[in-house]
Amino acid sequence: MEDDDQQKTSDLLQELVLRLVSQNPQTPNLDLNSPAFLKTLRYAFRILSSRLTPSVAPDATAIAESLKRRLATQGKSSDALAFADLYTKFASKTGPGSVNNKWALVYLLKIVSDDRKSAINGLDSSILLPNLGLGDAGNGILRGGEAKKKDWSNGVLLVSKDPENLRDIAFREYATLVKEENEVTEEVLVRDVLYACQGIDGKYVKFNSEIDGYAVQDSVKVPRATRIMVRMLSELGWLFRKVKSFITESMDRFPAEEVGTVGQAFCAALQDELSDYYKLLAVLEAQAMNPIPLVSESASSSNYLSLRRLSVWFAEPMVKMRLMAVLVDKCKVLRGGAMAGAIHLHAQHGDPLVHEFMMSLLRCVCSPLFEMVRSWVLEGELEDTFGEFFIVGQPVKVDLLWREGYKLHPGMLPSFISPSLAQRILRTGKSINFLRVCCDDHGWADAASEAAAASGTTTRRGGLGYGETDALEHLVTEAAKRIDKHLLDVLYKRYKFKEHCLAIKRYLLLGQGDFVQYLMDIVGPKLSEPANNISSFELAGFLEAAIRASNAQYDDRDMLDRLRVKMMPHGTGDRGWDVFSLEYEARVPLDTVFTESVLSRYLRVFNFLWKLKRVEHALIGIWKTMKPNCITSNSFVKLQTSVKLQLLSALRRCQVLWNEMNHFVTNFQYYIMFEVLEVSWSNFSREMEAAKDLDDLLAAHEKYLNAIVAKSLLGEQSQTISKSLFVLFELILRFRSHADRLYEGIHELQIRTKESGRERNKMQESGSWISEGRKGLTQRAGEFLQSMSQDMDSIAKEYTTSLDAFLSLLPLQQCVDLKFLFFRLDFTEFYSRLHSKG
Amino acid sequence: MDEEASRTARESLELVFRMSNILDTGLDRHTLSVLIALCDLGVNPEALATVVKELRRESIPESATTIPS
Repeated sequence: MEDDDQQKTSDLLQELVLRLVSQNPQTPNLDLNSPAFLKTLRYAFRILSSRLTPSVAPDATAIAESLKRRLATQGKSSDALAFADLYTKFASKTGPGSVNNKWALVYLLKIVSDDRKSAINGLDSSILLPNLGLGDAGNGILRGGEAKKKDWSNGVLLVSKDPENLRDIAFREYATLVKEENEVTEEVLVRDVLYACQGIDGKYVKFNSEIDGYAVQDSVKVPRATRIMVRMLSELGWLFRKVKSFITESMDRFPAEEVGTVGQAFCAALQDELSDYYKLLAVLEAQAMNPIPLVSESASSSNYLSLRRLSVWFAEPMVKMRLMAVLVDKCKVLRGGAMAGAIHLHAQHGDPLVHEFMMSLLRCVCSPLFEMVRSWVLEGELEDTFGEFFIVGQPVKVDLLWREGYKLHPGMLPSFISPSLAQRILRTGKSINFLRVCCDDHGWADAASEAAAASGTTTRRGGLGYGETDALEHLVTEAAKRIDKHLLDVLYKRYKFKEHCLAIKRYLLLGQGDFVQYLMDIVGPKLSEPANNISSFELAGFLEAAIRASNAQYDDRDMLDRLRVKMMPHGTGDRGWDVFSLEYEARVPLDTVFTESVLSRYLRVFNFLWKLKRVEHALIGIWKTMKPNCITSNSFVKLQTSVKLQLLSALRRCQVLWNEMNHFVTNFQYYIMFEVLEVSWSNFSREMEAAKDLDDLLAAHEKYLNAIVAKSLLGEQSQTISKSLFVLFELILRFRSHADRLYEGIHELQIRTKESGRERNKMQESGSWISEGRKGLTQRAGEFLQSMSQDMDSIAKEYTTSLDAFLSLLPLQQCVDLKFLFFRLDFTEFYSRLHSKG
Repeated sequence: MDEEASRTARESLELVFRMSNILDTGLDRHTLSVLIALCDLGVNPEALATVVKELRRESIPESATTIPS
């Protein structure tokens, strides 16, 4: 078979050669056996044997397609269609007699046509020969052809139907045009822009102070589009300059201590960002010189960076730099917590890039602030050399430490710390300082470390950062809880706050009844003397005696020691009653609660209560004398009936008046003692139990005292009514003296009568002189009783009017309890009826 | 060859001749038929094309005996 094929092949080849040679116009008709013919034949054989395998994949349709396309692009579309048609018909022919190796044929046709085309183009044939050595002859020929085609046609339309050439021409014209317009190549401009973005003037792009930006110099000729592009890109340079100048300024000002720790942290954060920016610029500069790696090797490209590529690269740094410049503008004048707050406001942004950036910046900036908060909350230390913290301390006296030692500075409060949190922070630090200074207690350190452990941070530095406001809040809450509890424990247990309050209530607010009674008994007569004659030592002695005589002696010695007699500054006309008062000495740390003003208010209440007690005491004294006894009742049988009647009526009036006054005083005292003092005290003790920190305690105490003052009609709104009250008190005291006089007079009369009786008995023999004495006595008695009853009447009238005035003012008061008092005072509507009648 | 096969062969040749005319190869029918036969026998078409090209050239160089392989 093989031999058969070989023979056929050689026969066919011979035939082919013969035909081709005969077709060749140059070689003359040769016969078969000429040596030239044989040589040609041998040559042909050699060619055939040199390449046995084709280099292209045997895909007839692909080759046909490429042929068709080539025809189409050459403008021979009708030919292309015809070819396609023919090929389909050709390909559909199968069976005996058809061509089996279709692709080979089509490929052959292709190559031959290509060769012919290149031959027609008049290329030197010797040049073609080396192409035979190439592996893929088809492609090689093709490429060579095209390249030559390019070089060949320089403006002369060789194949006028070829639109590819038109495109080429247009490109080339454009390139020459661009070259003419630009003096400067794009590479140089790119490099200059990169310099500008670091704030350095380049060869062509310099900083122009008129327009305040980097721009290409006017002398350089560049197209307007490039100029605008360079302007846009160098905005980055302008922003960079701004930020850099801010940083250098701050660094310069630092020794002058105008820039605080927060400002420094801000500069540090900015410098970090700028170093990242430098890195980017360095990478870009390195890349600027490299060409772009392309997939195809023949096309050459320009340098990697063009102005357009730069603008893409600069998009992100532009955003960041703009943010930094805005912040720099904002923060030029701010310091400390205000700066942190301003930056925080800018961080409220939706863009995730901006948000990320701001978060990292803020973390840096707020670290000194958070550090300060931490050390304040856990140790009570205020390390604030630049005045940036929102808590300021002032040097004050020890007793004012709590109230005024530390204050909030709202200007420095950053906006991410809420005011309530700030209050808690303030209170915690204040408590630690208070414990340390006033209570002399060191157990708070344990509480602080417990708090830190509980909230998951440590007591060391650097535990917290921005963005962890929750953690900070947690820490502060824990610390506050513990330290407040510790403080209250110390106050209650070590300093016995509750017991002191109770002692004040019992002594200053006359809670200890038996003590007050004894005191009044002992001190009372002494106080009626003018104030100058009374010495405080005597009074102190009386106080001691009263304490010993009552249940107060079983009280805690410490508290009794603090109780003292105080003589208020007095003028000449004052009596002892006006200047006497008790005082209670409060030492550190309780004097934060019992300050001077608080104690003076207690004093006012004490005075009022003391007056009330005095009045009550007076009335009780009258009652003692008014007791019906033998002296008054059955010894006047000897007197005349008129006198007796007068006497009886005087006595009766006295008793009635006493009753009224007593009713009033009892009710009023009950009101004060129980409804005001006891109720306020129970409210206060309840609040003391519930108090969580010293501020609460102070507030509760204030409330307690205010309630007492207001309800006892000592407040500002009650001035008129308290005046009328004091008038009533005066009247009662006057009544007392009158009643005393009345009973003294009666008593004297009694004795006189008895004496005169005795005398009469003795002087029965003398006769009329005795009866004269008796008449004189009666007359005297009558006169005395007359004057007495008149006085009594006047007192009664005054009393009624004053009480009326008092009662009319009573319902106008705000306090609800006073309404009950009014009801009780007037429960039979006795006075209202009198009022309506009169 | 029978009638069918010869007709097919004739038609195929005709189609190929027309295709080669479109492609402007300059081959006539007879040469084409020889080439088709050679291709069917399995000869490398690139080599055949080279033969065609060489033999069509104006002159056959003396160095044709040495062909780079």
